Amino acid sequence: MTTFLNVFDTYTVPLDQWVQAGVDWLSINARGFFQAIKWPVEQVLDGIEMLLQVVPPTIMLVLIALLAWRTVGWKMGLFALAAMGLVGFTGMWELTMTTLSMVLAAVVFCVVVGVPLGIVAARSDTFASGIRPVLDVMQTTPAFVYLVPVVMLFGIGTVAGVLATIVFALPPIIRLTNLGIRQVEPEAVEAAVAFGSSPSQILFKVQMPLAMPTIMAGLNQTIMLSLSMVVIAALIGAGGLGTPVFRGLNSLNVGLAAVGGLGIVLLAIVLDRITQGLSENT
Amino acid sequence: MIRVEHLFKVFGDEPERALPMLEEGRSKADIREETGLTVGVNDVSFELEPGEVFVIMGLSGSGKSTLLRCINRLIEPLSGKVMLTTDEGEIDVTALNDAELRELRRERMSMVFQGFGLFPHRTVLDNVAFGQEVRGSPREERHRVAREMLNIVGLEGWGDSKPNELSGGMQQRVGLARALATQANVLLMDEPFSALDPLIKVNMQNELLRIQGELHRTILFITHDLDEALRIGTRVAIMDDGEIVQIGTPEEIIVEPRTEYVADFVEHADPTGVITARTVAVPVPGQRFEESGEEDGTTYYRRTGYPDVSYGMRDGRFVDMRVDGEPVEAIRLDDALKEETPEIRRRDAVLLCGPRATLKQVLRGRTYSRLPQVVVDSDDRVLGVISENELVHGILYKRANEEAAVAHVGDAPATARR
Repeated sequence: MTTFLNVFDTYTVPLDQWVQAGVDWLSINARGFFQAIKWPVEQVLDGIEMLLQVVPPTIMLVLIALLAWRTVGWKMGLFALAAMGLVGFTGMWELTMTTLSMVLAAVVFCVVVGVPLGIVAARSDTFASGIRPVLDVMQTTPAFVYLVPVVMLFGIGTVAGVLATIVFALPPIIRLTNLGIRQVEPEAVEAAVAFGSSPSQILFKVQMPLAMPTIMAGLNQTIMLSLSMVVIAALIGAGGLGTPVFRGLNSLNVGLAAVGGLGIVLLAIVLDRITQGLSENT
Repeated sequence: MIRVEHLFKVFGDEPERALPMLEEGRSKADIREETGLTVGVNDVSFELEPGEVFVIMGLSGSGKSTLLRCINRLIEPLSGKVMLTTDEGEIDVTALNDAELRELRRERMSMVFQGFGLFPHRTVLDNVAFGQEVRGSPREERHRVAREMLNIVGLEGWGDSKPNELSGGMQQRVGLARALATQANVLLMDEPFSALDPLIKVNMQNELLRIQGELHRTILFITHDLDEALRIGTRVAIMDDGEIVQIGTPEEIIVEPRTEYVADFVEHADPTGVITARTVAVPVPGQRFEESGEEDGTTYYRRTGYPDVSYGMRDGRFVDMRVDGEPVEAIRLDDALKEETPEIRRRDAVLLCGPRATLKQVLRGRTYSRLPQVVVDSDDRVLGVISENELVHGILYKRANEEAAVAHVGDAPATARR
């Protein structure tokens, strides 16, 4: 009777063990494959980080302010100057640059992988409907859940953090590239065909330019998601602005957590406005 | 120039199923019910002469846009042939592979769209240059040609604007310039002026005719507007439910609608710009006229029942016209229409009009002089007379009598208006 009322007592599917076994198997047998994935990410990340750290902070601050001014307006330029200045004077400059380089590295790979996938999805309904549940899973899986398999397959550290970030931040750029291309005025595409355009001419001369505002909106979302994931990735030793937040959490040091948190928020606002400005300019 | 032979297009899965049914003469509704297939184009054949403006007119859903797209294969026809005459011989468009088809669209056929189909991210100049850009011609060269085309369509100096900064009429001028810029001989125009305001529409029709007079392309023009078809068409094909029900000059369509469907359409059209003087005129001499006398080799005729007016002819040529025995002044209709001064209107003079003068011109002549008008050819040979009676008949697009109909159909070629 009791088993009838609670059928779940009768049997437990050992899904956790299966996943464990699967990931274990992968980490042993597909090690070369995962190392091969890691390599280019590491190169790009190192390159960007070196660039950001090598530029003296004062010059970097001015450059960021100039970029904000050119892409959005003089008000945003002033805001960026004040915001990044505040981050620097609270002692977070170096960590911010690490976080920024991780975000940029993740975004580079998201664009390199996501835009072509989005284009393929826009051209093939089969591919689009096949990739949709995958993207849904990628977006709804809690950020923390990514970290365990990532650690097992890629180890800990900044590169592993960036890899987790890439997976987490990839869906919007794929979705919005697909959407942007599908939303292009059919008559514009028909006109391109009627004038004898080849498929690649249609893509690069008509579809991509017209889809660009939507793709840029996807890029903006990808950057925002990267930033949130990069912070969480501090849990697996990725470094950056997440580190003071977690140290503050562990030692109940509210001040330290607040300083780290403020840096994240200000960096997020500056990045968001700059990419929005870029998308409005296209 | 273009020959379309037994073209079919059926939409749906396994469209071939519809072909035997169509051959049996089953109705489209029948086929749709039984197989779920939609017949778009049903056994259409026609031929375009070089340099003509061939208009396909039909209501929405008549298959006219589908037919147009079958010709450059934006839509793949189910069966039938599209043959294009070029300086290198005849091309079977329906047999081309992808690369050859692109070549054809780049070099030989271009297109103008109802919604303009412009590229909003490109400047007007780069829109016009698109066809040549796709073809790979260098920047300087294609911009030079594009600027030339912008001048032709009257958009000099607008090259650096974006399309959305232009009004609808101007945008379609850009669309037209883009199609002209490829130097393609054949222009496919899919309801190009339907989205425009009525006044601008008439304006653009005149522009098209002017440009066509300069460049002499071969134009296939789609419209749902009969007045437009009649105004710009060298020949008009009426399409209904996937089939062409009649092909003819605008005048033939108006005067002799071959089916109920065409007749219904024509009912609402304005015939005065299409029907010509020769069509409505009553022949002289003829059964409605009797001889009234002879003087110095000139024979006088008067219309039965109208004793006051007599027409003098010698060897078939016009000599003079007499009212109550007194000769009246003879003026060419063309000259009369040029005069604007009100005081010389309404005087009693006989107007001589050419056989191709439109009913509209004859009516305007009527405000100048109320006497009947005499239709003469370039040799002053009398073809007939137009009085009040004939004008009324003309507006109701009926021939004056059967005799005239026979004479007209007998000697007028299909392309009479050119």
